[in-house]
Amino acid sequence: MELVRAYLDGHFTRRWDYRGEHPHEDQRGFRVTELAQDKEEDLFAEQDAHRPFSFHEMKSDLVLPNGARFYNDHTHPEYATPECRTIKDIVAHDRAGERILWVAAQRRNEVLGGRVVQLYKNNTDFHGHSYGCHDNYLVPRAINFDNLVRGLLPFLVSRQVIAGAGKVGREAQERGFTPGGFQLSQRADFMETELSVDTMHNRPILNTRDEPHATRERYRRLHLILGDANMCEYTTALKIGTTRVVLDMIAAGFIPSFDLVSPVAAIQAISQDPDLKTVVKRQEGGTISGLDIQREYVEQARRVLTNIDEETEWILQEWEQVIDQLQKDPLQLLGKIDWVTKRWLLESFVQDEGIGWDDPWLASLDLEYHNIDPERGLFYGLEAEGRATSISQEDEIQEAMKRGPLDTRGGLRGLCVQRFGEDINSIQWEGVDFNGKDGKLHLDLLDHLEPVSVAHCRAALEAAKTPLDVIESMTVEQ
Amino acid sequence: MEHAMKFVQLIGSLDRKERPVDPISKPSGPGDDSGPKRPETDSPSRDNLMKRMKKVDPKQAEKYRQRTGE
Repeated sequence: MELVRAYLDGHFTRRWDYRGEHPHEDQRGFRVTELAQDKEEDLFAEQDAHRPFSFHEMKSDLVLPNGARFYNDHTHPEYATPECRTIKDIVAHDRAGERILWVAAQRRNEVLGGRVVQLYKNNTDFHGHSYGCHDNYLVPRAINFDNLVRGLLPFLVSRQVIAGAGKVGREAQERGFTPGGFQLSQRADFMETELSVDTMHNRPILNTRDEPHATRERYRRLHLILGDANMCEYTTALKIGTTRVVLDMIAAGFIPSFDLVSPVAAIQAISQDPDLKTVVKRQEGGTISGLDIQREYVEQARRVLTNIDEETEWILQEWEQVIDQLQKDPLQLLGKIDWVTKRWLLESFVQDEGIGWDDPWLASLDLEYHNIDPERGLFYGLEAEGRATSISQEDEIQEAMKRGPLDTRGGLRGLCVQRFGEDINSIQWEGVDFNGKDGKLHLDLLDHLEPVSVAHCRAALEAAKTPLDVIESMTVEQ
Repeated sequence: MEHAMKFVQLIGSLDRKERPVDPISKPSGPGDDSGPKRPETDSPSRDNLMKRMKKVDPKQAEKYRQRTGE
């Protein structure tokens, strides 16, 4: 709580509106009565009951001037980027999030004295507790959900080959850590089922939560919880970019030529083989490796997608090149792909120190790879030596710390905070309520998803002197 | 006092026609334009990284605990 609030220049005022959250709604057309995590959430609430703070005070939910959300979730800081339209923007905003949390940590450390607070952008505590790095995509609801699942599952099972953050040892939910070996993914050990609305137990490869934060009749939000928290900008770009391409393929009617016999067993088997030789069973007979699944997808993308824009061309070219390099010489991807980079660092250390892969020191080094302290983090050390490939320029990251993308709803939300922050009564993904003389003034952001609509709303926000001006201007336009 | 950070990344996946062209230039990496080279095993940068790694408390992960998150 204090860490999150440390980012504020002034006092915390409760503004986040939780009424837009519907974690029990399922994309398969039903609503569950309870989630597997409900009992644990109740237990946490009991444990926290002795603290002299209300639920809302402990959450300390903030919306930042760049349109991001930053809050205390299960006693760790959670940062949600503003909505982005391009890969370049999402990478810059992901890095901006790291910087913002580092600012908060430094301020908290000034109060506490010393480098007491350390932050790790990772997914496991090496004791059987995991927390995700969720990637979310706005998808037309016209895409049949079964087709979405069929088209995505083999891709998601094998995405770790190009996007895993790497991890030493093995883990099991709540059952702890077994040292030894190295695997591609931080999260694969925690995937327990193919589809589920749950997120903390019985974790699914494809989460079915139906919470679009957009017009329900027109859109879905694909809420992926299986991804790792990446440090390499290039890995983040490839992870998000290839997933977006696959969604475009599915929208264009693509259905993969095969299904996997056991996606959960496959995601763990593929993760546990950093030499990428492991094959998994196809329902249609035969086997296929994770690398070949990825190759199948990129080859199909070349056939299915037409009128490819420059961003898509970049994604496809890099995707093809990474697959080839992983097959021929993975070390060419040092500083580009996280698991390759982390494995090289740890292998070098193992050789230098003459220790085994089951030495507990390696789990500590794995953790330190993700430390966002520039003077301590191992990835940051590699980056400082000029050995990490950049997607974002420094000025783009600095800009992303201050402002959201100008062409998305995230930028509009940020503008509301920048221009009329003190007038905000409540705020969430889909809209903002301002305090007016005669009651609340509601700015509906639900449908401001297309660039033209965003531009109209942005012009109104920039021209307005008061929130009432914005509402009146938007009403006249409608 | 050590914390995990959970990141949530939001990106739209609308019809490509609605997405403005925002080309990403070939990312600039170390070295020339021919792409990253195989890491040198005895370079000064490797030595600096090994020094940084040796400073890490071997028991850091053992002491680190988080609540299960989403």
